[in-house]
Amino acid sequence: MAFYRTTAILLLLCAALPCRADQLTADELRFFETKIRPVLIRECYGCHSNEAGNVRGGLRLDTKELMLIGGSAGPAVVPGDVEQSWLYNAITHQDFVMPPKRKLSPTVIDDFRQWIEMGAPDPRASNIVEIRSTISEADVQQARETFWAYKKPVDQTPPDVKDIHWPRTDIDRFVLAKLEQADLQPTADAEEYKVLRRICFDLIGLPPTPEQITFFTEKWENDPDQAVSYVVDKLLEKKQFGERWGRHWLDVVRFAESTGREVNMTYPHAWRYRDYVIDSFNDDKPFDQFVQQQIAGDLLPAKTDEKWAENLVATTFLAIGPKNINEQNRVQFAADLVDEQIDATTRVFLGTSVACARCHDHKFDAIPQTDYYAMAGIFRNMTTYFGNPPSDFGNFSAAQAKQNSSLMILPIDDPNPYDKHYTKLELQSLRDEITEKMGEVKQLRRANMGDGNAANAQRNRIRLNNELATLSNKLAVVDKNGIPRSYCMGVQERRSPTNAKLLLRGEIDQAAQVVERGFPQVLCSVLPTIDNQSSGRLELASWIASEQNPLAARVMVNRIWQYMIGQGIVTSTENFGTTGQPPSHEELLDHLARRFVQSGWSIKSVVRDIATSRVYRMSTTFDSQSHQYDPDNALLWRANPRRLDAEAIRDAMLSISGEINSDRPRGSEVAQAGYTRVQGGVLGNPRDIARRAFGTVARNSRSTRGMQRGRMDRSLQDVARAVTGQLDQENSKFRSIYLPIVRDEEPRSLDVFDFADSSAIIGTRESSNTANQALYMMNNRFVIQQSNVFADRVLQQQTTPTKQLEFAFLLAYGRPPTSGERSAATAFIRQFAPTTSYRSRGQKTMSAFCQSLFASAEFRYID
Amino acid sequence: MLSRRQILQRASAGFGYLAFAGLYGTQAAEQSATNNPLASKSPHFSARAKRVIFLCMQGGPSHVDTFDYKPQLAKDHGKGGKYGGSLLKSPWKFRQRGDSGLWISDLFPSVAEHADDLTLIRSMQCDQPVHPGAMTQMHTGTAQFIRPSLGAWTLYGLGTENDSLPGFVSLNPPSGSSRNYGSSFLPAIYSGSKVGRASRFARGGRGESVPDIKNPVLSEKQQRIQLDLIQQFNREKLGRESYQPGIEGVIESYELAFRMQDAMPQLMDTSNESQATLEMYGATGGSTESFGKQCLLARRFVEAGVRFVEVTHGNWDQHANLSVDHKVRAEACDKPIAGLLQDLKQRDMLRDTLVIWGGEFGRTPAAQGSDGRNHNNKGYTTWMAGGGVKGGFSYGATDEHGYEAIENKCHIHDWHATILHLLGLDHEQLTYRYAGRDFRLTDVHGKVAKEIIA
Repeated sequence: MAFYRTTAILLLLCAALPCRADQLTADELRFFETKIRPVLIRECYGCHSNEAGNVRGGLRLDTKELMLIGGSAGPAVVPGDVEQSWLYNAITHQDFVMPPKRKLSPTVIDDFRQWIEMGAPDPRASNIVEIRSTISEADVQQARETFWAYKKPVDQTPPDVKDIHWPRTDIDRFVLAKLEQADLQPTADAEEYKVLRRICFDLIGLPPTPEQITFFTEKWENDPDQAVSYVVDKLLEKKQFGERWGRHWLDVVRFAESTGREVNMTYPHAWRYRDYVIDSFNDDKPFDQFVQQQIAGDLLPAKTDEKWAENLVATTFLAIGPKNINEQNRVQFAADLVDEQIDATTRVFLGTSVACARCHDHKFDAIPQTDYYAMAGIFRNMTTYFGNPPSDFGNFSAAQAKQNSSLMILPIDDPNPYDKHYTKLELQSLRDEITEKMGEVKQLRRANMGDGNAANAQRNRIRLNNELATLSNKLAVVDKNGIPRSYCMGVQERRSPTNAKLLLRGEIDQAAQVVERGFPQVLCSVLPTIDNQSSGRLELASWIASEQNPLAARVMVNRIWQYMIGQGIVTSTENFGTTGQPPSHEELLDHLARRFVQSGWSIKSVVRDIATSRVYRMSTTFDSQSHQYDPDNALLWRANPRRLDAEAIRDAMLSISGEINSDRPRGSEVAQAGYTRVQGGVLGNPRDIARRAFGTVARNSRSTRGMQRGRMDRSLQDVARAVTGQLDQENSKFRSIYLPIVRDEEPRSLDVFDFADSSAIIGTRESSNTANQALYMMNNRFVIQQSNVFADRVLQQQTTPTKQLEFAFLLAYGRPPTSGERSAATAFIRQFAPTTSYRSRGQKTMSAFCQSLFASAEFRYID
Repeated sequence: MLSRRQILQRASAGFGYLAFAGLYGTQAAEQSATNNPLASKSPHFSARAKRVIFLCMQGGPSHVDTFDYKPQLAKDHGKGGKYGGSLLKSPWKFRQRGDSGLWISDLFPSVAEHADDLTLIRSMQCDQPVHPGAMTQMHTGTAQFIRPSLGAWTLYGLGTENDSLPGFVSLNPPSGSSRNYGSSFLPAIYSGSKVGRASRFARGGRGESVPDIKNPVLSEKQQRIQLDLIQQFNREKLGRESYQPGIEGVIESYELAFRMQDAMPQLMDTSNESQATLEMYGATGGSTESFGKQCLLARRFVEAGVRFVEVTHGNWDQHANLSVDHKVRAEACDKPIAGLLQDLKQRDMLRDTLVIWGGEFGRTPAAQGSDGRNHNNKGYTTWMAGGGVKGGFSYGATDEHGYEAIENKCHIHDWHATILHLLGLDHEQLTYRYAGRDFRLTDVHGKVAKEIIA
């Protein structure tokens, strides 16, 4: 079934399963048992029951609930309404033809009509009435009053310390006090170049330039505190700050530009959210506003259309999760969608996993199953937009993309360079093509009735549907004059909110009692009220982003701490519950959280507080006694050596070579490809891409004389790389945050260095050192190309070998070489140079040398 | 003068660990050596299998047409099925094979010649009736959450025996299936390394099957000089900082990578295999070429010491056109699999190499259309060979038509428990602490099918 009836969808999503009263009369029971059940078993269960292991069309007819829920088309039976019942539609051979080979006898069909009209009495009802929680109110109250994370943060007086000269800030006093208690001492300050390198990577994700190093060193000699504070303030104003910190946020909110899973469809408008996040960090948007926009931007008042557009884009947060759009059952899909939204919202903003309670009480954290369905009640009353709008011709689903969705039109005109314009003529030809293909589909259906070649017809239908979907998607995003409209992903509230029913074991056909909309009780000292006419989402957003909430501020400052110090005060950054890790410095966490709120939820001010502390400035020097006492460095007796993340490694190479393009690209590779399925690691049709790439190669080669064989081979290789490496973007010079993030197909340059799994909420990335990374640094074309440009820069700017060596070290590590490194480098040049041809000796040797600087451990570690 | 390799060895096994030992004495040094997460580890108890080759049949091959003989299905052909539809007898003839007399259909004539090496598990069950869910459950035990895969758990439990190759290799995995060979919350080092794409195996030649395996600019000699410089920088840094596991990790990774540059292409290059061997796998051309090459590679990998190799053969999902398409699928893999078993046996490797064959579920005894079968997750067949399982043995049974397992049911959790058991790992003891609790491959389930062990 290619077209969905919007009415059916709405009906399905809003309907609170109307069931007949539990008591059936003897007549009704007899009617069902003699005339309905036997037919269902004989004719339908083979393909539509659990026992057979079959769920054709996502439809099961073996329980009353599932029959009412229906399949991909809609409810199979609507009690009392034959017209709306797809089962009746199918057995009367209207849109569906069931059973597939023959028609039931007129008597049987009439039985079904009668049965539906009498209200579809069905004794197969399950007897779930109410699920009693195993967690009592007293349990919840006790957890709320005793567990540290559920109590509100309070202002903390910094403790007294013995060594009054060491601390610079309150942060230092909290850390030092704990060290002194344990009889440990903080290590000495790091050398100034290390401090600067740390600040630059942490704040803007790029290494310091030689000019910055010189400037900082001079200032440091006069007054280290002032030098740090000066540089920190400067960097906080740079637009690269948002690109660095925005990316941290994108990890946490599982940002990606496609659905992921088996049928991986693109999100061509996800980049708007990426840019929104970067801008928010650069503007130092108060975090409470940032939270509210993302959870309920569609419900916030907006003075201007620009602000309204921004608020809508923010709700993309709720729409970008991974989705199984191949799911056949709409109710299941809707339930999974809400589940994903609850999971993201609670773990991202509250560091608490409420989604655990979907199937049963979450005993450890005193989150009863009813809390989950109270939240489900909030989220089920909105529509989530993540697909492509329907055209005038309707909504065509390509093969396997069973779950369609539209988009939201932005209140402002904000096109990107990939939005296509169509002329009147082109529009007409699109429409003609669609009409023609729709005709073919109709013909196919008619021909199929008698013809035995079902497989062939099936293949043709799939092909036609795919083509129709593509054409319709093109037509749908322009107005009637062919001018592109501006869209975004996100959510919109629906009217007349309803509560959710609790589902036994989370199974959609096992509904129990209705649960009032609400918040996780264990986090609420005062239970908020939700108006009858409102879903409660706006209330949820305001409550999360408020001082009433014990977790939001703590969770966020803990992340900031982790990104700068190397491990969180709570190391389980998305789990502040009883199964998570307790805080290493509880008072410090409270102190930071309170400061955060008092500063007007300013992220930059927390970053500044940490960066200007003495703690942040410590060296990584190892001390065996301290290590024996505290091997995990939980008390922070030294700075943690940290491996740079993938973006910083790639951006640093671009920055050092000087090739970095610091502009922000409009859109992304995915926006350019439009709404399409990702297959074999390629956006859209591999053949088209090959054709384009070949065109470029052919044009380039025409300018040279003839086409030698070697060149030809290389050109063909380039074409192949352009196709298979489309998402790797080896030639891109933009910062890494702008690379396309397609789920399961992340660019190799990021993937290889433990990029965050874009299908998961990742607050803490892995930090591995693998052979795959070594191969990448040794052999990858991007790395080699950047090494070449780095070498050119060194050779052009410095003339003597000694100065070249020092300059290269300064660029790569922010310091001159040690004597050991100097002699290693000299030995290398002596050995390597003779292996190269005379003419390219200097360049080749310097390139290989520069690549070694990129490849070595020092480059990828912040000490 | 020391060779490059000696220097490297000194660097990774000597220098850093020595520096560490200087701080803490030898006990700590030993502890540090065991910090290498891939070091070979002792199993919980004496193992029957040392390594695994998993032949993953994606799409759901029909058990009633391959390894689950159902004479009653043939007799009742055309009658109404238990859940509707009419029963469809297998288009292929079943025969008793080998001394054991196992019933195997004509879809797998070559595999059937090894009947006396096989344990058929004809009572498989899983919870998922659709492909993505069932595939994920087969690999990780659950379709609901993202969890480590069977191979990752194996590597976590046993480490690896080679130091020039990754310990868990997934050949030709379907795109978008990274979860099925991923490590989830286990350290990333345990995740499967994806090697190759099906289209390239078929095309022949060496191809670039591992990304960045070869330097496009430098000669080997030049690269060696360059690598010496990199490692010298790394050792300088390690020397300055006395103890830094991360830098030792970097040094080791370069050592492995450099060896992989030789080892991987050599391993992937099958031109030194005899014509007879290539023919045994059907790797010389025709429809068996692609899968034959992959099976041959699987043998080469395990022979080289890789712990867990998975090979995928897809498109078994015949809702229609069963009689033609199932045959095409089977033909493409029958000879390669038989060749693999034969080859392992003649190298005396089958006794401690566990070969597993299976799809995510089976297919219904009743017809879908006139020539198709639907998904069936309540009863289907997988088989194992070598690695300490009985030969010529059949375990469990489905009902008379093959709808549902009724005897010695082997749920996918039991299957996982059994595989780990054969590797010397107790599925209840093999745990990893994550997010505050101990996780297992089998969650709270799993019963070892002890009867299948020789």
